[in-house]
Order: sequence, then C-alpha cells, then structure tokens
Amino acid sequence: MCSRVVIRQTTVVALLVCVVLAFGWLSAAAQSSEDLQRAASGRNGMVATAHPLASQAALDILKAGGNAVDAAVAAAFAIGVVEPDGSGLGGGGGMVIYLNETGQSFYINYYQRTPARVNEFSYDPEADRYTGEAVLVPGTVAGLTLALEKFGKLPLSQVIQPAITLAEEGFEVDATLAQLLLDNIEMLQVHEATSEMFLDDGFPKMQGDVLEQPALAHTLRIIAEKGHDGFYTGPVAEHIVAKVNDEGGAMDIEDFTTYQAELTKPLEGTYRGYHILSANAPQSGEALIQALNMLENADLKSMGYYTQSAETAHLLAETLRRAYADRWQFLGDPDFNYVPLNGLISKQFGRERFNDINRYKAEPRDYRTTPAGNPARYDQATQRPLDMTPAQADRQQSEWSDDDEEVTGSYNEWGENLFDNWGGKKTNTKVKKGTQSDKAKKDSTAVSDDDDDFDDEEFDGHTTHLSVIDKDGNMVSLTQTLGTFFGSGITVDGVLLNCGMSNFSRTSNNNMVEPLKRPRSSITPTVVLKDGKPFCVVGSPGASRIICTVVLTLVNIIDFDLNAVEANAAPRMYCQKYEDYLFLEGGFDRDVVTQLERMGHNLRVYEGLDLFFGGVQVIIVDPTTGVYHGSADPRRGGVAFGY
Amino acid sequence: MKTILTTLCALMLIVALAPALSAEEEKAAVAFEQPILISSAGQSADVKLVAMLAKKQKLDATVAEMAQPADLGNVKTLVIVPGFSSKGLGAAGVSQKEEMERVEALVQAANEAKIPIVMVHIGGNARRGGQSDGFNKIAAENSAHMIVVAQGDEDKFFSQIAGEKKIEIEVVDKIALAAAPLGKLFAK
Repeated sequence: MCSRVVIRQTTVVALLVCVVLAFGWLSAAAQSSEDLQRAASGRNGMVATAHPLASQAALDILKAGGNAVDAAVAAAFAIGVVEPDGSGLGGGGGMVIYLNETGQSFYINYYQRTPARVNEFSYDPEADRYTGEAVLVPGTVAGLTLALEKFGKLPLSQVIQPAITLAEEGFEVDATLAQLLLDNIEMLQVHEATSEMFLDDGFPKMQGDVLEQPALAHTLRIIAEKGHDGFYTGPVAEHIVAKVNDEGGAMDIEDFTTYQAELTKPLEGTYRGYHILSANAPQSGEALIQALNMLENADLKSMGYYTQSAETAHLLAETLRRAYADRWQFLGDPDFNYVPLNGLISKQFGRERFNDINRYKAEPRDYRTTPAGNPARYDQATQRPLDMTPAQADRQQSEWSDDDEEVTGSYNEWGENLFDNWGGKKTNTKVKKGTQSDKAKKDSTAVSDDDDDFDDEEFDGHTTHLSVIDKDGNMVSLTQTLGTFFGSGITVDGVLLNCGMSNFSRTSNNNMVEPLKRPRSSITPTVVLKDGKPFCVVGSPGASRIICTVVLTLVNIIDFDLNAVEANAAPRMYCQKYEDYLFLEGGFDRDVVTQLERMGHNLRVYEGLDLFFGGVQVIIVDPTTGVYHGSADPRRGGVAFGY
Repeated sequence: MKTILTTLCALMLIVALAPALSAEEEKAAVAFEQPILISSAGQSADVKLVAMLAKKQKLDATVAEMAQPADLGNVKTLVIVPGFSSKGLGAAGVSQKEEMERVEALVQAANEAKIPIVMVHIGGNARRGGQSDGFNKIAAENSAHMIVVAQGDEDKFFSQIAGEKKIEIEVVDKIALAAAPLGKLFAK
C-alpha cells in the first residue's frame, strides 16, 4: 500500500519533471517583474515604442479616435524628440501598413536619399562621419505626412502636438539616453548647436535632468502648420542646405523640393503557414524572409531551444550569415540596380542555401569568407530598373545564373537524408544540380568584398522601432533612423541630421553611392498574419543586428510558442558575414557554448542582456481571444501601452 | 599580579591594533603625484570626460583606455574610470572577460609598484549595476581615493566600500564638479 503511494508520487514527480524539462526553454525567457512592467494587454489598441512618452502619445491618439496610422505617426514624431539618439526629423525610415478591413498592405519607404551632387566629394566614413558629406536628404517628414494623408483619420496638427509639447516643455532624460549621451560624448562635442542641446558645460546631461528642445519645437510647429512643405521648402530646408554645405557637403534646395516618400507594397513571404509582410528593398525584409525560408527546412522545435541546443544555435548562425552574405551581395536600391528580389525570397533559393550548411561545423570557418548564393536562377518577374536596358538586365542576370539542368532528389553532398537529419520533411521539389557552395564561390569572385579588413558600414547604426495595432486590427510596423547614434551630430533648427552616407558600400555591389539613390538599410519593420488575420507586429533597432533579432523573435514566437514578453526576454545571438564573431547574449547553456566552439564558431559571449542586440517592440494578437499583448524590449527604455 | 596582567593585555591590544592604525594612517598619508595615467575599467567613454576634467585642472595626465602593466613606467598615480560599455568594448575589440583580466593585471601591477589608484566614477546610474558593477568594485576596492558623482552612489555602493576599506571618498553632484577635488588631490 505504502509502496504504491510512493510509486504514484514518484510517477507524478517524474511527470512534472518531464513537463518542466519539455518546456525548459521558458526558463531562459523568464518573465521578470521589470519585463512585465514594459508589457500590456488590451482589446482596443496597443502600442509599443522605445519610450513611455512616445507610447503615451500614440495611446492618447488611439483613444481620441485615431487609427493605427494616426497613432504611429504621433509616436514617430514624439520618439524623435524623446529618443533623439535614434531617429527624428533629420532621418528617415520605413513602415509597413496593414489595413484589416480590406486586407490591403502597403510599404512606405521614406529612407534618406543622396543629393544630386553627391559625386562631387568622396565620402570617407571614418574621417567624414560628422561632416556635411555624411548627410543625406531626410525623409521622415515626407514619410509620416504621406502616411497620414493616405491612411490617417486625424489632422497633422493633432498628431504632431505631443511631439511639440515634449520638445517645448522638456522631459526627463531616461537611463538609456543618459548612457548614450555618455557613450557618444566626443561626437556630441563636435558641433556647437548639438553640444548646447545635449550637454551642460560640455558634460552630458544625466538621468533625471530635463532636456528641452525649443528650436525643434519651433520646426515642428512649422510642419504642423504647413505639412510636408514646411520642411522641404522655405526656411527649414534652406537652413539645412546652407549648414550641410558649410560643413563640407554638396546639397541644393532642389534635393529637398524633389524629395518624395515612396508608397509601395511590402515584401511578402510565408513561414510555417504564417504570412510575413516586411520592408521592401533596399530595406531588409528580403533578408528576413530568406532566413525564414531557410529555417523552414528544419523542425526547430524538435531540435531544441537554441540556448539549450547547440545544433539549433549552429543552424541559426549558419543561416543568418548566409542571409547576410546574400543581402550584402545583391540588395540595393532597385531604382538603380537589378535586385533579384523574387529569387532571394523564393522557397527554392531558401532550400538551396539551407543545403549549403554543414550540420556539424562552421563552414567556412572564417565568417568573412561566407560566399553569396545565386538567387538569380530562381528570379522571375523582378522588374529591372527603369534606366536599365533589357540587354543590360539580361547580361547582369546571366552573370549570376548558370545553365545547370534541373534535377530532383539529391539536395547536397550528404544526400537525401539531410532534411530528415535536421528534423524536417523531405520533399521532391525541383532544385538545381551541383552544390551551392561551389557555385557561390565562383560567383563571389565577381566582387571584391572578401577583404578581411572590411567593416560592415551599418555596424554602428542605430534606429528606433514602434509597433501599433488599433481596435479594428489595422497594424503599423515602423522603423526609422538617423544612421548611427545621434547621426552626423550636426543640428539645424533643432533638427539633428542623419549620417546616411555611412549606409552605402565602398566595394563593388548594388549599394554603391549614386546621385538621388537610397542606401541599403537593415531596417526590417514587419507584420505577420495568421489565417489571414492580424497576428503580430514586430521590428527592432540595432543596426546590422536588426535582421538577426527580428528572425529570432519570430522563431521564438512561431516555433517555440513564446509570448511577447518571453520573446523579448529570450537571449539573442548575432552572426553575419562581416563579423569575426558569433555574439551570444548571457543565458546560453555552458554546454551549448562549448559545443559551438567545438563546431568552429568564434564566440563572443555577453554576460547578460545588452542593447547591442536591439530593442524589439512587439505586439501579438491572441488568435483565440483576440486580445492584444504588447511588449517593449527590456534592453532599452521602451514600454507597451494598451487599453 | 593583577597589574602585570592588565599591562600585558594593554600591550597586546596596542600590538594588535598597531598594524590597522598604520594602514589607515598609510591610506591617509598617500601622496598623489604626477605624472598621471588615466585608464578605463569597462571601456566606457567616461574616461574621456575624466581626461577633460584633468585637463581643466592642468594636470600632467596621459590617457590610455587599454593601459597595460608595462605602461605604468614612470607613472606616479593611476586614475581608473570604471563603467561598462558594450560600444566601447566593441571598439576596443575585447570581450568583457578580457577587459576584466586586463584591469586585474593593471591593478595588481600598480599595487606591487606602490602606485596609488584614484577611482573616478562619473557615469551615475548609467554606469551602475549589471555589467558595470564588477568593474566598479575592483576599481573602488583597490583605490586610495574615490571621487564619485552622487547619482552613482545613491545606494551607497561606493560609500560602503570606502567605509569598509578606510578609503577617502568625495561625492559631488555633477560631473563638472568632479574637476576641483581631482585637482586638489594633486595640489597637496
């Protein structure tokens, strides 16, 4: 009798242990009370931004009858005031808009653009970062006013008012801004107007100090009154052009008067049945979709959580660096170059790149020699640039394509078992013959990007992201930037100007500097649908880490069923072509770290969470209850508000 | 007999206390001389601000964010500015672990060479907690003098170490106000 009770108790305990172990990854993504303070739930609206005051501005707009676009625009103007290191009127960005009633989706590209006379100087990102040469024509005002005009319900004067008030009356510097002021002290001291704004007697304002920006408030009032033209014509534009030229740039007023934000469609893909809508070229929704297409070939859940399974972490690292390599090789402004977008985001190319991964070791060992793939062979119907002749386009495409016959069956040198080895399902979809790596190595010789000393131009970049959903299920995912922290450090009429020139490449690829061109950017604002209904709004700042971070967040949500708070608290990793390390946040099992090293990865392990790995603002819609759950990243100072 | 015992006890007490008193006196008697080497512990940009403060005070100071024991050469005082910065570590190309090892070696070398250490913490909350406090602790515990901007000592982290280790500490309200006590140290 007694022994039966003991056996039953033992069984119950064993079962409980199994359950705990089965959901072991949740421990890695534990919800601390601080994390929960950054989260919210609601049925009528939700907003997550990098600063409580910007979230509040958006929430107030939603409560005042505005839709998701109104709220996002209000938050975008406000965040430029209270998080001046990350974005503002002097920068640019992109936003995915999803209108739930009609099922329509749009992408507004309002990234910065080069001036027409950009070829009059040779920009050196090291020497010229804080000069007029670094500054591109800002797009923020054009993008936000276009969004409001096309999709908003409330007047500009109303949605911009919170930003004006914050700039005029000031606000308390938070911990994140205080740290960034310290970190960037040298560049903030370069230009007088910027020093006056952010420093006291040459020393940075500290947490709790009040930051007032009266000149910015004045410029915001002009925009409130005159809209787009208030920024792109008249005194504001004239002052910016004059200052940029004084600081060594080559900008004309026509660069401003001709600037328009682009209203296009988002890039679309799928991941395990979820519909992904993300940033179109030259922004990086392409890399997100490609990475997800590659990962779809493995059953991550059965392989184990990536902080507890070296196999999963290895697959993520190898996937991401290939996606980055392809992005670097092919992504650029499609108005200027043939970008094989449809090939890059095709399932076939994703599978081919997946098959290039060695399951047991980092290959090639040196991340910088990761060869690009050849998406052109899967590219169909990608429009060539308007100024490219059909012959030019054909010639470029033929350089990337090969004539191998299509075959079925064997996927790579390990044969058909590979998919099963990864835990995924084997299919008979046609793929090209030959190993991808051999072909890609051949292709990679076309460009001189294998320089060991090459640095990723976007490494130091900085942005902000905000996510919004309204009571009707309309969603906005918006990421905007100044280039790097505090941009060029040049301030005119309270507007801190970008250093977007740093986003261009110096070696030969689709991202070379040309007049009136937008540079490639890592920003990846994304919206996800499930069964045709709103499911998730997500994005992140963090320069080149953005793509990794958004991929990991979606993997956490879709593959590992983490909620918004857990997905944000989960440790992250970062690996790309132009890095020497696989960066791991604190929280990876010691055994995983050891195994990854044995597999040949060169690791750099952080002790805890770090803002280096981004600042995700995410909203998830519970498919069953319809309740919105929002979370702001604990790595930065954001917060989600809902009602 | 009772008198002898009392005298013996008193002598033993004096002997026991003597080294402690000497150490305290030694701390108080530390002479901070120039030239100065200013280095970081955690690679935050705060070290550049302390260099500005030193310059304002016209001190003979050299800045070496990544100073090694070999750099101590003819240095008379080592100023350590603690504070973790992932941006700074990235720029320096070192991991947090490697940076800690460097700081430990530098501190040990300074102690062996009897070079006094001054810790200047100016980052406030931004350089407290998390990954910063490891660097704060080693810098503070090995210092002969601390200058701290008040926000960084709201929880008495530095004051407590100062009390336990009998280290002089000066707390100022603003970064700019750290210049005067720093200058005064070398005017003695």
